[in-house]
Amino acid sequence: MSSPMNQSKRAHGRGRVSLRGIRKSFGTFEALKGIDLDIEPVEFFALLGPSGSGKTTTLRVLAGLTPPDEGLMTVDGVDVTHSQPGERDVAMVFQNYALYPHMTLEANIGFPLKMDGVPKNQIPGMVRDAAAKVKIDHLLHRRPGQLSGGQQQRCALARAIVRQPRLFLLDEPLSNLDAQLRLETRVELKKLQRSLDVTTVYVTHDQEEAMTIADRMAVFLDGSIVQVGTPDEVFNKPSNVDVAAFIGSPSMNLIEGHLNGKTVSIGDYRFDLPKLSNHPSGNVIVGIRPSHIALGGAGLTANLYLSENLGESMLLNFKVGDNLIKVRLPEVRSFTDNEVVHLTFDSAHVHLFDPKSGIRIDL
Amino acid sequence: MKNRDSTKYLRNATLFALASILLFIWVFPLVWAVVVSLKSEAEVLAYPPRIIFEATAQNFKDALFGGVSILPSLITSLIVSTATTILTILIAVPAAYAFARLELRGKKWLGFYTLATQMVPPVGLVIPYFLILNKVGWLDSYQGMITVYLTFSLPFAIWLLVSYMEDIPREMEEAAFLDKANRFQALWHVILPQVRGGIAVTIIFVFLNAWNEFLFAVQLGGNTVRPVTVAMYNFVSVEQTLWAKLSAAALIAMVPMIIIGITAQKQIVKGLTVGAVKGGGRQ
Amino acid sequence: MHRQGGLFAGERGFALLMVSPGLLVLALTTTFPLAYLIWSSFQNINLAMPFLDGFAGLDNYRDMLSDGRFWHALQLTGIYTVSSVFLQLVIGLGLALLVMQIPTGQWLFRIVAILPIVLAPVVVGLFWRTLMLAPEFGIVDFIIRTLGFESVNWLGSPTPALVSVILIHTWQWTPFAFLVLLASLASLPLDVFEAARIDKANAFQRFIHITLPLIRPAIIIVVIMRSMIALSAFAAIFAATGGGPGTASEILNLYAYKTSFVELNFGYGSALAVSLLIITLGVSGILFHLRTARRS
Repeated sequence: MSSPMNQSKRAHGRGRVSLRGIRKSFGTFEALKGIDLDIEPVEFFALLGPSGSGKTTTLRVLAGLTPPDEGLMTVDGVDVTHSQPGERDVAMVFQNYALYPHMTLEANIGFPLKMDGVPKNQIPGMVRDAAAKVKIDHLLHRRPGQLSGGQQQRCALARAIVRQPRLFLLDEPLSNLDAQLRLETRVELKKLQRSLDVTTVYVTHDQEEAMTIADRMAVFLDGSIVQVGTPDEVFNKPSNVDVAAFIGSPSMNLIEGHLNGKTVSIGDYRFDLPKLSNHPSGNVIVGIRPSHIALGGAGLTANLYLSENLGESMLLNFKVGDNLIKVRLPEVRSFTDNEVVHLTFDSAHVHLFDPKSGIRIDL
Repeated sequence: MKNRDSTKYLRNATLFALASILLFIWVFPLVWAVVVSLKSEAEVLAYPPRIIFEATAQNFKDALFGGVSILPSLITSLIVSTATTILTILIAVPAAYAFARLELRGKKWLGFYTLATQMVPPVGLVIPYFLILNKVGWLDSYQGMITVYLTFSLPFAIWLLVSYMEDIPREMEEAAFLDKANRFQALWHVILPQVRGGIAVTIIFVFLNAWNEFLFAVQLGGNTVRPVTVAMYNFVSVEQTLWAKLSAAALIAMVPMIIIGITAQKQIVKGLTVGAVKGGGRQ
Repeated sequence: MHRQGGLFAGERGFALLMVSPGLLVLALTTTFPLAYLIWSSFQNINLAMPFLDGFAGLDNYRDMLSDGRFWHALQLTGIYTVSSVFLQLVIGLGLALLVMQIPTGQWLFRIVAILPIVLAPVVVGLFWRTLMLAPEFGIVDFIIRTLGFESVNWLGSPTPALVSVILIHTWQWTPFAFLVLLASLASLPLDVFEAARIDKANAFQRFIHITLPLIRPAIIIVVIMRSMIALSAFAAIFAATGGGPGTASEILNLYAYKTSFVELNFGYGSALAVSLLIITLGVSGILFHLRTARRS
């Protein structure tokens, strides 16, 4: 059902995106402070970050809706920095879907084909195919106002995929769905992307979402990219404290400590790292995830502040001096208030960061 | 329980009675006009005024088909109002779109200018218009009248339409651009269908204002262009006022407006309150 | 096809195209005549005595300032505007509050409210002049005499005439205030009132401290719009009293009209119209400033 031109495009591994030095300011606010990014063809790439970090602006630059002040954007080697959105062969699903409320679903999905000059007799078939892929082909005669949020989102998806673009952009598509629907749709989105073989850029502020769905991701903070990598890399090797604190739920514990050769000390607690690091001795920030802390042993003295029973596990909050340390316990036990406990860190999963720059210290 | 119900009932009844009295004040003049229009001229002059009398449709016949028929004036009003409305919409819709959507330098000043033009009292315009149309020879002409009517219709229409268009989220157009639509196509396929309601309200108000207009009609018209508001005076002269016929003629002239008012009441209230939310404007 | 500057470069041409017919027409139909008006106010243009025509400088304005009739008209304009707007507001608000309490039948009030608004002001003026207020035959007079009061020459005596035209204007436009305020009241969230009741506020206190502030925007808009219309009201007064008797109901609007089209003294009439324009702009400026100042 795709046009000959599209088929040949796909054969050439199309949809390689490259951004170099992209800057954008709105008045005095610097939204993008020099973005460099390479996205491989057909990969599912997430732009992750808190609100205002620049991820949506970057997406809009990719779409051509927000022209950058400086920088270069190429797709498959062609400079498209200032091309009009309609010239880029890009499709986008907006956060609130932006469906045309006065048109039926069929007309909505067929609109890009109509604008593109696809022969009228081919349009219904292509519309039906796209709708079937997202399972709304039985709703084509309805209007967006008559549909649920989930169905509207599928319609927005269908409208985006119907003309088989080489770049597929999604702006927080799941944020308007309820929690249960979000989990289900997440899986379906991933499967859809696989079946379509199209480069996908996905904006989200939910790090769990990005971790489960993306092939690779870029973490945005304050208008810059602080780390690019696979979910595994970002989770297990965060490049600085900000990324470390952002990724993972509950977030990584970060405590001040001291490094001396191979030994890390936090107060009276001492433990050895598996490897000697090249970093000179001095103060460090120690990062350890809640699931990598055990109770007992000759560890850090802590007072239980709050215990949360999650059903199959517990989340314990401990006070160590001025710090609040979170520990995930894989079993359920009872505790007394202010119970004194010793915490032992799994030294194989300890992260160290430079206290001044916040950058990861490699072991 | 019974006590509370009865006090509530009493309260509602008093409120309703009070409101009905006030309602009466507003309904009465119209009702009385209808009553008078059904009387003969002699009957009208009877004192004390009678409520029970022999009704006649003669006045309506005279107003429409008699010696000083208002029929030509009805046609004139129709032509002028319709032409004004059509022209206004054709010019105002693109202008409103540009104001609402596009980045123009000095957009704020243009908006203020549009608003300011609505503030001008009509007498301030009828004087120069009289002098200018006189020079150009367009007094008592359709083209002159319609041009003048655009004076008050256009700023109002632009201002109304801008507020309706601003309500459409930007993403709607952005989605259209990504779908390879150009500006014209986005306007035609996406924006206009959604401001259909707003355009309807604008049409209603522009037509209404044009039909009811008096000052420009009486000063800049003449024997050829004599809208129905001026034709009222066919029945009023220094010697006498033909009461019943005047009532009949006035009612006939106002029937289109009343029909519009009743059938489009929701739109009209919406139009009034849009003004209330965003400010300024006529009528 | 690439265009430098992205969306905004190509846009400028399109934008100008869309806006220019509108701006052109506006300029022609409003700005140009206004400029002509101002120019005329500095001229002597007298169609009755053409030999007087010529440049007059500030003469018209000087005459205006020493013209008693002008000050009288100005005073009447003030009284007319302030009282009719005030009445419209108070009665409209009262009606709106009343109707809000009535469980059903609101639609009836809406329809009745729309009727006076859609009538032509000239027709309204004529109706009131003939049917209602005419001595001997008018209904209002009849009712007053039936109630035992003295007959009043509504349109023939100075003060009653002014009262009459204010009455007529109020009659026609109060429904506007009513409809707008009703819509505003209907849109108020209920929970704020419930919170107030829990805080032991009685009905009057709730009105003063919650209702009024919340409908403030609507009230301001009603005041602005009705003031503009009251300042330039013409047809109804013309039809009802013609500005008379004498100059008893001759607001500035009418004075300018009479000077120009009855006495044919367009130069002086223009000056009068310009002064009305300045007053209107001034009043609207103040009112708008009130509106936006409080909003922020």
